[in-house]
Amino acid sequence: MVGPVDMGLDFYRQVLNLRAYRQQILAADIANASTPGFKAVDLDFKSALAAAVAAPSGGATPPPGPLWLVDSAAHMTPASASSAPASAAAWVKYQAGTEVTLDGNSVDLNQEKVKAAENAVDYEAAATFATQTLKLLTTAVNGSQSSSSSGG
Amino acid sequence: MSLFTVFAISGSGMAAESERLSAVASNLANANSATSSAGQPYRAREVVFRAVSAGDGADPSSVGMAGVEVAGVVESNESLHSVYDPSNPLAGEDGYIQMPNVNPVDEMVNMISAQQDYEANLEAFNVAKTLAARTLQI
Repeated sequence: MVGPVDMGLDFYRQVLNLRAYRQQILAADIANASTPGFKAVDLDFKSALAAAVAAPSGGATPPPGPLWLVDSAAHMTPASASSAPASAAAWVKYQAGTEVTLDGNSVDLNQEKVKAAENAVDYEAAATFATQTLKLLTTAVNGSQSSSSSGG
Repeated sequence: MSLFTVFAISGSGMAAESERLSAVASNLANANSATSSAGQPYRAREVVFRAVSAGDGADPSSVGMAGVEVAGVVESNESLHSVYDPSNPLAGEDGYIQMPNVNPVDEMVNMISAQQDYEANLEAFNVAKTLAARTLQI
């Protein structure tokens, strides 16, 4: 999967997967906005980022590639088994600070809507970047012909 | 793929909210039903939701990740209203008749809440649809 041609594409694959997963979490929160005893959950990005920085050789590091700007040799090592979580599911945490109703539900519908909208924009951004990366590759393959050809 | 799971989750949410709305409609329609097929005055009904977990439901990442379902319909145990109406054939010897315990204010609030939740589910569904369509354009 990771090769010189892929450039940063594998990174965008991970971003899109993660954003789709978070959309699923937020949809589950919204669907359970009236379920007694349901506690709202979300991805804990802050802790995940801190863990990824603390363990640069873990699975959460970006894939090595010619275009990847690295300032540490550790960034170039491929994903390996370490203390970093294997999947994003390990970073799903209960939300804190939201109001808990009498029936034990902690979903704040407005907050969830805002988060879902934000997450959708992030997803679209990653998709746009992936499209542009592919266009870049096409340009590199076709040279100056790409702008006039229909393949662009 | 996660986005298609969103369709299932939001769909279950919309189905559950519809059922809640049905209960509200039933309660309001029967607010004056002094008797029913069971022979007793109508009692207000309320649906109870339950989160459907994708896994065993032990960790936060699986609770509710398969949506929501209606666990059951419970009847309100609030006391029935006694209305003095001696001309009614259902009235007791003292002239009082037992009327349903439907509270119209409760029902209206429940209705607005169900509507808002339904719309939120619909919004989440539409966002997932947009994202899935956008993915096809990469």
